[in-house]
This record gives sequence, structure tokens and C-alpha cells, in this order.
Amino acid sequence: MTTEPPAAAVPPPSFAIVKRRLSFFGLTLDECIQVFFGGNAFVAVVVLALITYFLFREGSQFFGQNRQNLTVYRQAGLEYVDFMRRQEQAHTALTRGLFELRMRAVVDLTERQKLSLADANQRLAGFDDYAGRFDDAIGPLRGMVADLTEVATAIKTKFTINEDKMEERQQLLEAGRVAESEAVKVEAVDFERELAPILGTKEAYLEINRALKAEFATLLQRMPPAPTPALQVEVERFKVKVQAYLDTFPSIEANLAAWDYRRPVPLWKAFSAYLFGRQWLTASFWQDWYGVVPLFVGSLMVSAVALFLAIPLGVGAAVYVNQIASAREQRFIKPCIEFISAFPSVVLGFFGIAVLGEALRSMSQVTWLQWLPGFPIAERLNALTAGCLLGLIAIPTIFTLAEDALQNVPRSFKEASYALGATRLQTITRIVVPAGLSGIISAVLLGLGRVIGETMVVLLCAGNRIAIPDFTEGLGAFVQPVHTMTGIVAQEMGEVVRGGIHYRALFVVGIFLFFLSLGINFLAQKIVRRYRISVG
Amino acid sequence: MDSPTKSLRSVSHHPASPDGKSTAAVAPTLIDIENLDFHYGATQALHGISLKVPDRQVTAFIGPSGCGKSTLLRCLNRMNDLIDGTRIGAGSIKIRGVDIYQRDVDVIELRKRVGMVFQKSNPFPKSIYENITYGLRLQGVKDKGRLDEVVEKSLRGAALWDEVKDRLHASGLGLSGGQQQRLCIARTIAVEPEIILMDEPCSALDPIATAKVEELIHELKLKYTIVIVTHNMQQAARCSDKTAFFYLGKLVEFAATRTIFMNPENPQTEAYVSGRFG
Ligand SMILES: Nc1ncnc2c1ncn2[C@@H]1O[C@H](COP(=O)(O)OP(=O)(O)OP(=O)(O)O)[C@@H](O)[C@H]1O
Ligand SMILES: [Mg+2]
Repeated sequence: MTTEPPAAAVPPPSFAIVKRRLSFFGLTLDECIQVFFGGNAFVAVVVLALITYFLFREGSQFFGQNRQNLTVYRQAGLEYVDFMRRQEQAHTALTRGLFELRMRAVVDLTERQKLSLADANQRLAGFDDYAGRFDDAIGPLRGMVADLTEVATAIKTKFTINEDKMEERQQLLEAGRVAESEAVKVEAVDFERELAPILGTKEAYLEINRALKAEFATLLQRMPPAPTPALQVEVERFKVKVQAYLDTFPSIEANLAAWDYRRPVPLWKAFSAYLFGRQWLTASFWQDWYGVVPLFVGSLMVSAVALFLAIPLGVGAAVYVNQIASAREQRFIKPCIEFISAFPSVVLGFFGIAVLGEALRSMSQVTWLQWLPGFPIAERLNALTAGCLLGLIAIPTIFTLAEDALQNVPRSFKEASYALGATRLQTITRIVVPAGLSGIISAVLLGLGRVIGETMVVLLCAGNRIAIPDFTEGLGAFVQPVHTMTGIVAQEMGEVVRGGIHYRALFVVGIFLFFLSLGINFLAQKIVRRYRISVG
Repeated sequence: MDSPTKSLRSVSHHPASPDGKSTAAVAPTLIDIENLDFHYGATQALHGISLKVPDRQVTAFIGPSGCGKSTLLRCLNRMNDLIDGTRIGAGSIKIRGVDIYQRDVDVIELRKRVGMVFQKSNPFPKSIYENITYGLRLQGVKDKGRLDEVVEKSLRGAALWDEVKDRLHASGLGLSGGQQQRLCIARTIAVEPEIILMDEPCSALDPIATAKVEELIHELKLKYTIVIVTHNMQQAARCSDKTAFFYLGKLVEFAATRTIFMNPENPQTEAYVSGRFG
């Protein structure tokens, strides 16, 4: 017979919390997801680190090369010749001054005194004689500079060829072709001997200089009276300039006497020649200079114009939209402004060349606008044109971030202000904007970062002349063409020899930009954080 | 003392209209709300409110959340104008007989006369001194002596002077919650309003700070007419002379505070004040 199993034998409901998990390569699903996202973040960090490393590795060698560049400049005697050349060029500038004086005299004589042109020229005959003699005075020095230029260039060429050969030999050696490498003849340049023709002119130079001094002293005394009384002031000013020029002679002589091709170029010179160099001159037959100042000034001027436009427009629009506009206006204005950033910058560049530059120039020819500095504009593409377009680019950034900052101002501040009897304008200017100020400032800084890094527009519209604008024209400097740091990299990077000094110089410009943007962003974030703490 | 304020005070008062079985001293009416309907866009928040707020007394608004206390309070200085789509559907609010919603009322002037203290203390992110002088500077007062005087007077009036007199130029945000709220009261009385509206001024404060503010309300009552919204029954009972009970946008009962708490007429009021609903 069968006995029923005892009740106690019924198994209790199982406590089934143990479950086999899906696993891939020994990882659970959760862990896989974690690895995926962690991996992405890691890749981003690594790429950033690689870029920074690459930038620095390529850029850092520039300074060594630049030092080498400056050393050759000295050893081949170019530096020596440049001392004299500067003396000659200063004289040329003086002659140009005389020429301008004559032009003004002609204008004076024909327009004010109603003389005919022939009569005017007659009157100026004495002046012309004088100017001619002044110009001729420099002849001997000019000849010497021309001769020495040839010698120095030859030495430099020799040295460069040697360098190339040395490199060739090195490459052959590395390839294991020893016999061939020995066939490459390298004669080290004997600078002492090569420089002899240059240094041998020392006496002749001093002779020339003595004659020059005597000639200028007499010229100073014989300066004819001004052709018209109105120009007497200018004549006096010219005399002062000539005297100042004469006063530089001793120091030039001292420089030449003390010059020694063996004196090493210190490393800091390589840095300062870059940071404070006022010339960016490449592929020149004489000497290449890598000075970042003209580019930096160009970037700065373009950015200044851009911010000058974008700050009032961007911040003003933000205040309007956030504080005054009705909901319907907000819905219309906000997307419109944000839409600006959808324009590809190359399209804006076209617009700048075809429309804005042209429009500005024809505007600058309107007679009743001539009081504006820099008008009429000589160049269609200049810092102003590029700056206006960059301003357009910066507006959405500044607008959006400033609007955010205003949005973050607690509503209760506004209510309290109204409850104390403030008008809307008072509330905006005394409470809302000050409370959002740090946010607005950081918006402006980020706008600046955007502008400094922008490339296409400046490349197309800034005129790309590598020179520090003539600031003696005041605000007129802004309508001169400039080149920028971003523009130069984009323009020249494709054409340079990889690993060459020019290539590395461009990398250093990149590093410079990198630090600039980093600094600006850092500052902006710091300001925003401060603001959060003070209100939160 | 502002001269306009004085002149307004000297206008003859409406005859007192004691409300029902009021046991409080008969006081002249200052604010006269009649049949007020108020709308937020499509939703109506207030339905036919009629209420007479007596001069220089404390009137409390009580009622469950969402019943329209704040809405009514904000109608009294037209703060609701700042919200898009709000409108008065019917009825009127008169202060000393002047309809504050009529066409050519200067809202700025109205808000100078009817000050407001908010639920969450909201000092400006400026110094204590600047917080208090803000209202006067708006009116163009620049005289340093006058401003100094007002700062001291207002801070004393708000029982805050002794605590902050050594750091008047420190930020108002550096004060404790209770001090901030008293700073807001000081800021409000600095412009010498006639009426002070308070929307749950103590809801974020601890009992000690609350006690201080309540004490302050007692003193302020001598000079100002106060309308206070509160969720705290004891507070209403302690501070106010008259109490209005609202429910679902309607005024259910309005009477002397003692009556409301001891002997309410309406069963809903009775249920609410005794804590059985709300
Ligand atoms: N800005 C607004 N827009 C639309 N409706 C609103 C607005 N403010 C309040 N309301 C509505 O109006 C009604 C009354 O709100 P109110 O803030 O006056 O209530 P309350 O009595 O102050 O409540 P609480 O005690 O919670 O503060 C509520 O139904 C609310 O949803
Ligand atoms: Mg409320």
C-alpha cells in the first residue's frame, strides 16, 4: 500500500534570487556598457593629449632652429651689412621727407599764390638743387652696401649648400652606403677668410662716414629758406630730423667696430626675436624673420573691431529678448540670431569680399563722411571688413550665453525691485544686468575666443598684408590690410617644407593660439564659477 | 517722512464699516475690494471677492494651498501685471477710495505706497546698505546724510540694526535666513509705504526668527497697515486683528480674528482652523 508522503516533505518555495547572467568575454552587460562609455571618454582624453604633444613636439624645435638661423645671419656677415643698410635706409626716409615738402610747396604756390606750374618749378629750382645734393651724398655708402650685400649673400649660400651636403652625407651613412657618403665633398666654410672682404672695408667705411658727416653738416647750414613761409615749420622739423640722424652715426660706428662673427647667439634671442619680432618675412633672398608681432597685432585689431560690434548688439539683443520682448517676439528673434551661426564661414567670407568690402569702400568715398578716420579707404579688404564679419560670427555666441546669464538671474530679484517702485528700465540696469554681469563678461570672453580662432573669414577678408599697420594714422589703422595668426597658418602651412624652420614657426603660432584660447576659456569659466557661488 | 504719504494719510477716511459680528475695535477701511474676479489667462483664480481691509491693523489671509491668497495679495500692488495674460474680470480694488486699476494710475507710484515682502527672502546681491537705499535712490535721493539716516531708521524699525550695524557694507546675502527676511522688511519700510503686504514671510524661518518677525509685525502695525498671508494658524491668531478665510478662490468668511478662531460662522472655516481639513 502506498503511504502519502508526509506533509513535511513538500519543499518550501524556492528563494530564487540567483540567476545566471549573460556574459560576453567574461563581462556582464552592465560592465560592457561601462567599458563602452569609459572607453569613449578615454579615447577623447588620449586624442587631446596626442594633439597637445604633437603640437609641442613640432613647435618646440623651432627655437633651436631660429637660433641657428640667427647664428648664420651673424656668421655670414649679414648682420654687419644690415647695420650699414639701416643707416642708408634712414637717409632714404629723410630724402622722401624732402620730396613731400616739395609737393606741398608746389600745391601752396599754385593754389594759394596762383602761380603757373612752370613758375612754381622755377621758384623751387634752388630747393631742387639742394634736394639733389642731399640725395647724392649717400652714394658712396649705398655702393658699399650693395657690394657687401653680394659678398654676404655668397657666404650664406655657400654655407647653405654645405648644410645640404652634410645632410645628404648623413642620409647616405644612415642608409649604409658608406662609400657614396664619402664621395660627397664637404668643405667647411672658413668664415674668417670669407668675411675678410667685408671686414676689410672697415677703414673705407669710416672714411665714407667722415665725408658724410662733413657733407651733412654743410647741408644743414646751407638749407635754403622755405619756399613758402607756411612751410618754414616743416623745414625746421626737417633740420631737427637730420641732426638726430647725424647723432646716430657714432653708435653705428661703435656697433660695427664691436661686431664679431664668433660671438654666439644666446637662446633667449631666439625667443625674443620671435615674440617681439616686428617682421614676418619668409623665403627672402637675404634673411628670413619670424616675428609674431604683426600677426598678433592683426588678430587683435580684427578681434577688437568684432567685439566692438558684437558686444552692444549681442548683449543688447540678449537684454531685449530676455527682459522686454513678448513671448512671440522671443520665439521669432532667438532662432533668427542663432541662425547666423549656421552660415559656413567661407560663405560669410564671400559676402565680405563681394558685398561688404565694396560697400564700405564706396561709402568711404562719400564726401560728407570724410571726417571719419581712415576715409577714403584705400584697400577693399582690411581689418575693418574682416572685423565686421567676425562680429557677426561672435553675435550668436555672445547673445546665447548672455541670455542664459540673464535667465539665471533669480526672478525674485526682479520682483523685489518692482515692488520697491522701480520702472522696468531701472530694474534692468540696476538689478538684472549687474546680477548677470559676470555671466555676460564670460559670454563676451567666449565670443572673443570664437573670434580669435576663426580662420576662413580673416583669410578671405583681412587683406593679408604682413605688416604692423601704421598707428600714426590713429583709428585709420583699422582700414589697413592686416594678416592674422590663424590666417598665416592656413595660408602657409600647405607650402612649407616639413620639418623646416618655417614649418615649425607656424606650429609655434599654433601653440600661441592654443594658449590664448585656453587662457580665455579658463578666465571665462572662472568668472562664471565665481558668479554661481555668489548667487547660489 | 515723505510728504506725499502724509497728504494721502490726511485724506478723509471712508466711514468704518464693521464686518458682521466683528468684536475688534472699529477701524476705518483702507482697502476696499469689491466683487473681484481675477483670471490667469483662461483660468479664473478669484471669484467675486469682497473685502474691506481696515487701516493700521493686521489682516491675515488663510486658506488651503492654491485657494488664491497670494493672487489676491499681489492684486493689491498690481504685481500680477508682470505676468502675461492676467486680467481683472470684474469688480474693483480701491485704496482710500482710489481705484488702483483705473486707466491712468501710475503703477510705480502705487508700488511705492504698497510695499511687499516675499515668501522667500530675496535681498539683492548688493551690500546691506545698498539694499536699503535702493528704493530711495530710484526716487533720485542722493544726499548721503539722508540715506544714512534712513538706513539706520529702517534697520531699527526692522529690529536688525544691532546685528548688522558694524557690517553695513557687507553683502546682504551673507546674512542668515531670518536676518535676510528682516532686511527685506527694512528695505520695504525704507520707502515709507502705507501698506505692507507679506506673503508667508516666515515660512522659511525657524521658530526663533519667526518670533522676531512676529514681534516686528506688532510694532509695525502702529504705523502701517499690514496684510499677511500665512499657513500658520497660530501665527494668524497671534498677529492679526482680522482674518479672511479663502477656499477655492472664494472668500468664505471674513471677521475679527477671535471670531474666526473661536466662533466661526461657516462650518468649513471651523473645520480648517481646527485642522480637520486643508
Ligand atoms: N502664474 C500663474 N499662472 C497661472 N495660474 C496661476 C499662476 N499663479 C497661480 N496660479 C493659479 O491660481 C490659483 C491660486 O494660486 P495662489 O498662488 O494665489 O494660491 P495660494 O493660496 O497662494 O497658495 P499657496 O498657499 O500654496 O501659496 C492656483 O490654482 C494656481 O494654480
Ligand atoms: Mg501663495
